[in-house]
Amino acid sequence: MPIIIISADVREIEESIAQKVADEMGYNLMNRRILADIAAKHQIDPGRLNEIMGTTPSLFKKMSARQWRRNLACVEAEVLDHLLAGNIVCQGLAAHLYVTGISHVMNVRILSGNSRCIKDIVEKKGLSLQKAEKCRAAELQHRKKWSLAAYVCDETDLSRYDLVINLDQIDPVEAVKTITGAAEYRKFQVMTYSMKCLADLALAAKVNAKLLDSMPSIKVQARDGSVVVITKALNRQKRKKIATIKELASTVDGVSYVEVHVKNNILAS
Amino acid sequence: MANQPLKIMLIDDENIVGKRLKPALEKTGDIVETFEEGKKALARFDETPFDIVVTDIRMENIDGIEILEQVLAKSGRTKVIIITGYATVEIAREALSKGAFDFIAKPFKPADLRGIIQRASKELRSGFLHTT
Repeated sequence: MPIIIISADVREIEESIAQKVADEMGYNLMNRRILADIAAKHQIDPGRLNEIMGTTPSLFKKMSARQWRRNLACVEAEVLDHLLAGNIVCQGLAAHLYVTGISHVMNVRILSGNSRCIKDIVEKKGLSLQKAEKCRAAELQHRKKWSLAAYVCDETDLSRYDLVINLDQIDPVEAVKTITGAAEYRKFQVMTYSMKCLADLALAAKVNAKLLDSMPSIKVQARDGSVVVITKALNRQKRKKIATIKELASTVDGVSYVEVHVKNNILAS
Repeated sequence: MANQPLKIMLIDDENIVGKRLKPALEKTGDIVETFEEGKKALARFDETPFDIVVTDIRMENIDGIEILEQVLAKSGRTKVIIITGYATVEIAREALSKGAFDFIAKPFKPADLRGIIQRASKELRSGFLHTT
């Protein structure tokens, strides 16, 4: 059965729709509650893990870009591992940005509607209409900036999604019906090819998380247990780096072969 | 009926694919016919329907999606399995939407295809196989 990833421009709406879709379909809901388990497994402070889902690295927050990236990689690896089980509605874990190229994953974007959101801000924060508009624009800009920093893709680009629902036109009950109805389409059903793609993506993410423990700037691809790691190093460090990567990557379950491509790190030299 | 061999049609313009897969699929006692041209395969299908059609997508004259559509128009109960070296999400979704039973990217192990055929066979066995 398909996997449904729901994201929205307003967190509360995203949570509410995802919960209703999961209930309607009898699927498990995977959301930020999973972060506590991930934090324990990877020995990361749970609060910090929650924080990285919405913030970019900053000296003020004592979070280096390397730590931030490594923590995101741990979340990505665990989320992908859970998705292999199928029958899941996923929300709040940025999966819409890294679970790509899988035909049985339906990526849904909910647009909460500008007027509704601004009205909410005015009511909740007691701001003037003008200030609420600015506040909303800043929030959208922040999310766009985060998605670009974390996964080099713009979450506000609607062409990324399989289904986009505007709550200004479709009410939440209709939205849930639309999503569950679309999930029944044959095109979103599991097939051998899509399961293999998901397994490859999950394995690459596991290796990536493992390697980011000890080195920055790597790119990992996987296919049928064979893993290709692309990295940069000074010429004199190439051999050592290749050996380290092969040793570390081989410890990941499911890896049968590791190939390392090292590009010359001109900047470091 | 339950023990009757399956009739499998294998279409791929690369001769090596048929040569490699035919013996692997015949191991289970099923009857396998291979074709390198889609048109000839469809003409053969008109003479006698098959339980399972395994077809490549990218072929000259007629592509795998067209074969899928024509086969299902002739025999709704035939299971069509798509194999391709040019798999994309879009093509995979199109194939499934148009009624493909499964979709697998090349290269694959013959055992992978046998696994899919086994699943197709289970569904078919609940009905009747095509008689020779």
